[in-house]
Amino acid sequence: MDGKVIVVTSGKGGVGKTTITASIGAALALQGKRVAVVDMDIGLRNLDVVMGLENRIVFNIVDIIQGRCKIKQAAIKDRRIENLYLIPASQSDDKNAIKPENMVWLCGKLRKEFDITLLDCPAGIEQGFRNSIVAADEAVVVCTPEVSAVRDADRIIGLLYAQSITPKLIVNRIVPRMVENGDMLSHEDVVEVLSIDLLGLIEMDEYVVVSTNTGTPLVMEPDSKAGKALQRIALRLDGHPDLPIENPMIQKTFWKKLSSKFSRKN
Amino acid sequence: MSLNSLFKKIMGKPASKDVAKQRLKFALLTDKLDVKKEMLKDLQKDLIEVISRYFEIDKESITIDIQRSEECSALVFNSPIISATHKRGVPAA
Repeated sequence: MDGKVIVVTSGKGGVGKTTITASIGAALALQGKRVAVVDMDIGLRNLDVVMGLENRIVFNIVDIIQGRCKIKQAAIKDRRIENLYLIPASQSDDKNAIKPENMVWLCGKLRKEFDITLLDCPAGIEQGFRNSIVAADEAVVVCTPEVSAVRDADRIIGLLYAQSITPKLIVNRIVPRMVENGDMLSHEDVVEVLSIDLLGLIEMDEYVVVSTNTGTPLVMEPDSKAGKALQRIALRLDGHPDLPIENPMIQKTFWKKLSSKFSRKN
Repeated sequence: MSLNSLFKKIMGKPASKDVAKQRLKFALLTDKLDVKKEMLKDLQKDLIEVISRYFEIDKESITIDIQRSEECSALVFNSPIISATHKRGVPAA
């Protein structure tokens, strides 16, 4: 049976696409799937450093498409996680080095080799985005609870619908304390504005910075809340769509409990 | 709700997330109304066709535009009527 191709996209840059792609890829591979993650950001590659595989790049996606190497030669095998492969972007070309029809061909090949292929889409709605969505079977839209990110997500969702793809949403970098104080859009607000199905909620987590520093997969950090949320997202993406979505909550101290009791009476 | 947000509520300040949500809804609406000129031209053509079944109108001085304000957005179509056409019964299909 052919595998599936899932694009991770957002419109706005810096909302966590690359970290989320790397983590979902790692989680799926740990769950026993054969996984390829593909960096679609030609000219500004980053998935390699987030995954800690930057020193092992020989060939890249443009080499595959221009026939300079086979897929197997370009796909870097992760030594920590079995069945996880990275196809890096080229750093010296630009987005126009790949055409949509090249991606249709490549994804057809990847479906035969891998259970799941994750495409890390670049920010924006130009060629890189077009290349990333043209051959995708499913899409994950990432946004943070900010006006700018939600607005861009709405635009992206519209463009995905136009390609007959119904995307699912991940709300990233939720700060439960701010949500409770009314100083951050809640995931309910975001879902209401975008009218889209939710795939998962990820809390703001300092472990993301630490694991990116060292190039360690976030899902291998046992104490990372974001890592745990991403493991559940990976399960939901592959075979367990009804796994409940956990809402990030404040760890309540005695005083906070007391203060919330008082305020409820008013 | 924390004491801090309770305090803000007493002071009559709206929660900043509610401001964000309101702005977002408005921005998304206006983004979607940012339609291409060609689409408005097509709409104008279709409208003229339909209205002409009932009224004789001055096709040259028709204006069509999307107007936005703080509270609402409206499609404004302005068409001077010369006379009602005397076609009776069902308009041509």
